[in-house]
Amino acid sequence: MKIISKKDFDDFINALIKDESWNVIGVKSRGSKFAFGPLENAQELRLDYDVTLLPPKKYFFPQRETLFTYDLSGGFSAKNPDEAKPMVIIGVHPYDIVALLHMDEIFRETKSDPYYFNKRKASVIIGVNMQKMSKWNFSAYMGCAVIDYGYDLMLTDLGNRYAINTGSQKGEQLLAKYAKNVTPALARDIQIAGQKKREILSLSQQKFDFPPEFIPELLKDSYSNSSFWERHSEKCLACGSCVLVCPTCYCFDVKDNPDISLEHGERIRTWDGCLLEDFAKIASGENFRATRPTRYRHRYFKKGKYLFDRFGFISCVGCGRCSSNCLPNIANPVDLFNDMYNESLNNGAQAITATTHPEVNIQTEGNIDYVPKLATITKKVPMTLSETLFEVKLDDGTELGHKPGQFVEVSVFGIGEAPISLSSSPTVKGAFELCVRKLGNVTTRLHKLNVGDKIGIRGPFGNGFDVDSLKGKDLLFIAGGLGIAPLRSLFNYVLASRNDFGRVFLLYGCKEPKEILFGEELAALSLREDVDFRSTVNFCPENEVWTGNIGVITTLIPQISFDPEKTIAVLCGPPVMYKFVIADLKAKNMPDENIVMSLERRMKCGVGKCGHCQINQIYVCKDGPVFNYSKIKGVPEAL
Amino acid sequence: MSKEINVHHITRVEGHGNINVVINNGTVERCEWAIPEAPRFFEAMVVGRSWNELHHITSRICGICSIGHTLASLKATEAALGIKISEQDLKLRKLALHAENMQSHLLHVGFLVLPDLMAVGSVIPLASSHPAEVKTVLKLHRIANEMSNLLCGRTTHPQRLIPGGFSKIPTAKELAALRSKLMDAVPSLEAVAKLIKGLAGKLPDFKRETEFIALTDPNEYALYDGRIASSDTGSAPAREYLAYTNEYIVPHSTAKWAKHARESYMVGALARVNINYSKLSPMAKETAEMFGLAPVCHNPFMNNIAQLVETVHSVEDSIKLINELEADGLVPQPDYNKPEIKVKAGSGVGAVEVPRGILFHDYTYNDKGICTRANCVIPTNQNHGNISLDMKALVPQIIEKSKSEIELTLEMLVRAYDPCISCSTHVVKVNGN
Amino acid sequence: MKPKVAFFDFAGCEGDQLQVANLEEDLLALLGQVEVVSFREVMKEHSDNYDIAFVEGSCTRLQDEDRLKQIRKNAKIVVALGSCAAIGGINSLRNYKDLDSVKKTVYGDQAKLFDSYAARPIDAVIPVDAYVYGCPIDRDDFLHVVKSLLLGKKPETPTYPVCVECKKNENVCAFERGQFCVGPVTRAGCNSCCVNEGTICWGCRGLVDNPNENSHKEVLIKYGLTVDDAIGKFRLYFGWQEAKR
Ligand SMILES: Cc1cc2nc3c(=O)[nH]c(=O)nc-3n(C[C@H](O)[C@H](O)[C@H](O)COP(=O)(O)OP(=O)(O)OC[C@H]3O[C@@H](n4cnc5c(N)ncnc54)[C@H](O)[C@@H]3O)c2cc1C
Ligand code: SF4
Ligand code: SF4
Ligand code: SF4
Ligand code: SF4
Ligand code: SF4
Ligand code: FES
Repeated sequence: MKIISKKDFDDFINALIKDESWNVIGVKSRGSKFAFGPLENAQELRLDYDVTLLPPKKYFFPQRETLFTYDLSGGFSAKNPDEAKPMVIIGVHPYDIVALLHMDEIFRETKSDPYYFNKRKASVIIGVNMQKMSKWNFSAYMGCAVIDYGYDLMLTDLGNRYAINTGSQKGEQLLAKYAKNVTPALARDIQIAGQKKREILSLSQQKFDFPPEFIPELLKDSYSNSSFWERHSEKCLACGSCVLVCPTCYCFDVKDNPDISLEHGERIRTWDGCLLEDFAKIASGENFRATRPTRYRHRYFKKGKYLFDRFGFISCVGCGRCSSNCLPNIANPVDLFNDMYNESLNNGAQAITATTHPEVNIQTEGNIDYVPKLATITKKVPMTLSETLFEVKLDDGTELGHKPGQFVEVSVFGIGEAPISLSSSPTVKGAFELCVRKLGNVTTRLHKLNVGDKIGIRGPFGNGFDVDSLKGKDLLFIAGGLGIAPLRSLFNYVLASRNDFGRVFLLYGCKEPKEILFGEELAALSLREDVDFRSTVNFCPENEVWTGNIGVITTLIPQISFDPEKTIAVLCGPPVMYKFVIADLKAKNMPDENIVMSLERRMKCGVGKCGHCQINQIYVCKDGPVFNYSKIKGVPEAL
Repeated sequence: MSKEINVHHITRVEGHGNINVVINNGTVERCEWAIPEAPRFFEAMVVGRSWNELHHITSRICGICSIGHTLASLKATEAALGIKISEQDLKLRKLALHAENMQSHLLHVGFLVLPDLMAVGSVIPLASSHPAEVKTVLKLHRIANEMSNLLCGRTTHPQRLIPGGFSKIPTAKELAALRSKLMDAVPSLEAVAKLIKGLAGKLPDFKRETEFIALTDPNEYALYDGRIASSDTGSAPAREYLAYTNEYIVPHSTAKWAKHARESYMVGALARVNINYSKLSPMAKETAEMFGLAPVCHNPFMNNIAQLVETVHSVEDSIKLINELEADGLVPQPDYNKPEIKVKAGSGVGAVEVPRGILFHDYTYNDKGICTRANCVIPTNQNHGNISLDMKALVPQIIEKSKSEIELTLEMLVRAYDPCISCSTHVVKVNGN
Repeated sequence: MKPKVAFFDFAGCEGDQLQVANLEEDLLALLGQVEVVSFREVMKEHSDNYDIAFVEGSCTRLQDEDRLKQIRKNAKIVVALGSCAAIGGINSLRNYKDLDSVKKTVYGDQAKLFDSYAARPIDAVIPVDAYVYGCPIDRDDFLHVVKSLLLGKKPETPTYPVCVECKKNENVCAFERGQFCVGPVTRAGCNSCCVNEGTICWGCRGLVDNPNENSHKEVLIKYGLTVDDAIGKFRLYFGWQEAKR
């Protein structure tokens, strides 16, 4: 521990400001509150603050951030934003430092987010121990009120001087370069500093009735307690304040912002929030969390359980910002969890304990690239009134190299991006196919493009089907509507090495005959001996011709006989289809592990960062879209 | 030979107005100036609303003069509740008013009048035929807008102006930056003045003696405050405005019109220049001299020139105000400033010179600060009578010209008044017309 | 071919058209993308041949309806420009008044000369394809809608309230300052500009699609408004929308 007088500390700050190579950020007053902002001089710094309006995450993951700028005038070129100046952030409270460490994990998982880490790596965090605590703060319960890690320097106010703990070389060097008269701490100073830190823990005005470690366990059984969630969320304004001010919330939206020339523009990401109405809504109109109680519940689950299951930490540091920003005062985690705890005790629940930590092994493999590769539409085959098959080639001549069941993010510059399944088998080289339904902005615009037009491609993304595990098995493909698109990739792959697989069934259902996709290919299938293909329509209007089965897709299942133990069922269709098909397969004694399905959710990033596709601890874009039924049947919201 | 001239929804004015002239065998049978604009009833809408909302509501009387309406409204409320504002806020408000004056005059002279003088239908073709000139006007206009943004927090319908002062004020740095922009604007303004000088011959040479009414102040070119002055009679405190405006409803046409010493009077830039010429800034006077504009000028077409002169005055006076604020040292105020205000019952009148002339807001509040009565007298309504009489005098003088020429001249006359007809607190359509 | 664009105004203050004129240099750039065939505020020419009609102001009289229907007939796309046109806006304040007495207040015994009915948004009369909310419109928001239309895209309109933008802008909430705000039920898209300038959200962009009005009225009352004042807050801009709900 070191000591610096307050005057020398001010000089240190002023020296940093004067050396223009740094962006010097500190806590300043704003109205009756505080906010992090650029410092003009040391006098502005308010280290005696209670809490800032927004957490310092805004410097690493800004409210609005350009992912790249594009220029369509000479084809397409993209440019990443210039790298930011290195930053010193002064006055971060311990809980906000822990929150940054949480963010690090989230932005690091699988692929790391370069926008976040470029800024994070170029910054120095100077923490300060709390001198005042907001009345909503419960960081002491979360183990985040006092810390000895995560910072470069940590200050403790000792009256006319600061005690400084160094946490990194970077911190050490900064001090050496810009601060004068830094002396080693005397035993007395160390003692006072220790005393100060202990006092912090007693400042808390919030009270948990039970140890917060129990939260994940407590939440476990509360998901289906809908009356609890309805009661608590009745006053929710869906204003998103509770998530927008949270230091550990990371959801974002991605949009294109063309300029008036329409030739130039940028793709940006902006903060989003799971409490907002359209967060999980998809183009077909389906909203996976349409009501306030479901969105309200999602937030508590996300903080208390989903991220715990994924990362091993409760994603709340107890800063109390959500509580203080919620006008109807229903966002305080302490109140909610206490209510839940006491209610469950009253209902005679067994003593609740802490869950054992899940096994977490966060791997990072390279960086996310948000800039799409340029690609050309090489064929456009209209299939129905609203679906078209596109053949696409990457302009750099490389193969996409996908697995069946994976998807790509397709960009139409100026409009945006949409996830589309790969519809062709990877065995077909040189180009790939996408079957697109015209629904919203991107897909409608895609339909207006022609052969030779340019689009952007990111991916392939997602896990895809585990083809090897299917080898030697009988396969039962069940496709509803557009669900045929991703299944076709696997199906054609199977046909390409037909001998590796046992019997193959394909059941395909549509609303009416004119909606049938890949009609000719399917007609060819009916002639094959080694495939049992059956199709159905829900109804057939007077003016259309249909000689086959009429009825929903489940009416085809009794028509075939298969060995449930030896057969793998592969499902893809509209969300409503799964429940019924699975019930029928179960009735035929098919084991859960033998059912595989591809799910659809709203997506933005496609790489497990934006939070849009999240079902519990699962990211559909990254952990899916292909799931084994045995793994998700217990997951609420999944089906 | 008979001609009927009907200009419906006259263009390049703010709001709607119709001209209807019937000439039969060389005599004028009918000459009407009518306003078909939909009425909006603001005076009734504000009754029952609170003192801290009135400026927000009445700002929406007119988008173009929204700063002026806000200020007149605030002054009325402040007079009624006995609220005083600081010297600094007073200067900042004057700056806000200058910003609107510049913005509005530039829009009018540059976008609406210039096309007439250059014989085109709008500024759009000018953008390709005279790109440099159009860019200069745009640049000046942008500076005026940036100034409104800085003082008011928005270019239309101000936010920062609140009872008792400002919710937010610019920093000293921002004001200094504004000043250098204003100083840069001076040569551009001179260029615009020269351009117009070259075209001023196209302004009809027409005179009709009339009365002018404007605010006046012994110490400055009155815009934010002053006594009401008439070129015919004397002056009086603003609260006695009713004795000047004398509104009446015109049966044959449209609005509440106004008259004072004569059949009609004129308000606006020309009225102000006529009454307060000696208080104009030095460069503004030079500009006036350049066009031979001297009091008392009875050619309504010269209102366009008076607007140009006032634009110069606003630029110069703004620089002066910023210098003063700087010299006194700008006192910062807390973020989200909200002056302490004690609500009480009372009445108050706010009079402000807005781009188109003198504007009055007059409110009564009960002891809870709820508005119980409101009256707003807007400049354009005060001008309707004068426009109509000008037309009647002008038509016989140009009766020999072609129909389209008469039409254009009459339109130019109306546009010279820069009528902001959307200020339609009192403006209505007459049944069965 | 550049799309042809026309501007029209009804009962309003023309502040929205002014915001368009105030686009300055962006206006010139915009003129590179569209052909303005009618804009009474700045041009003499007029044509009935247009693709996109921007309509400002509320419908307040029977005779406005015919004009609106004609515009609808001529245009491929009708855009409501500003809150008067999009939601009824400030004009709907008068819908709470007895119109006869309103007219008397203003016109005295001549009142009967003037016709007028409850102020309404234009989509109460004709179908509308896109909305630019705000009183006045925000220039960036206007450009966003125009660019979307030019790209053949449905302009995305926020379905969340102003608080979202207000939080991102790190404002001190009005309620923390002893003021009252209807941001929690008002459609975002203005970047919370009024709060950024130190005041409150007055609600000019109208109610969000699914506002929790009861909860917000409770909040207003909890923080010290009377029931009447809370209702008054909602009436400033939401008059027509509330009457419809
Ligand atoms: C893994 C996966 C595979 C898919 N495969 C196909 C396919 O092969 N063919 C096909 O036609 N459609 C497919 N979809 C659906 C397709 O992504 C949506 O129809 C599309 O995103 C709609 O975008 P839009 O811009 O046209 O609609 P808008 O309503 O304008 O949507 C705006 C944005 O919201 C998001 N979004 C909206 N709907 C969805 C959705 N259903 N799923 C994910 N994000 C959405 C997207 O980011 C989209 O750009 C797939 C979806 C997923 C998740
Ligand atoms: S819980 Fe509170 S802060 Fe969060 S969205 Fe609902 S009302 Fe807003
Ligand atoms: S959930 Fe609330 S208390 Fe927890 S970190 Fe987020 S804002 Fe802070
Ligand atoms: S919405 Fe507002 S700015 Fe637009 S016309 Fe109406 S009052 Fe004027
Ligand atoms: S000031 Fe208004 S808009 Fe902003 S957060 Fe508070 S309630 Fe919401
Ligand atoms: S903050 Fe509210 S009142 Fe202001 S522009 Fe936005 S919606 Fe309108
Ligand atoms: S996390 Fe962004 S789409 Fe899955």
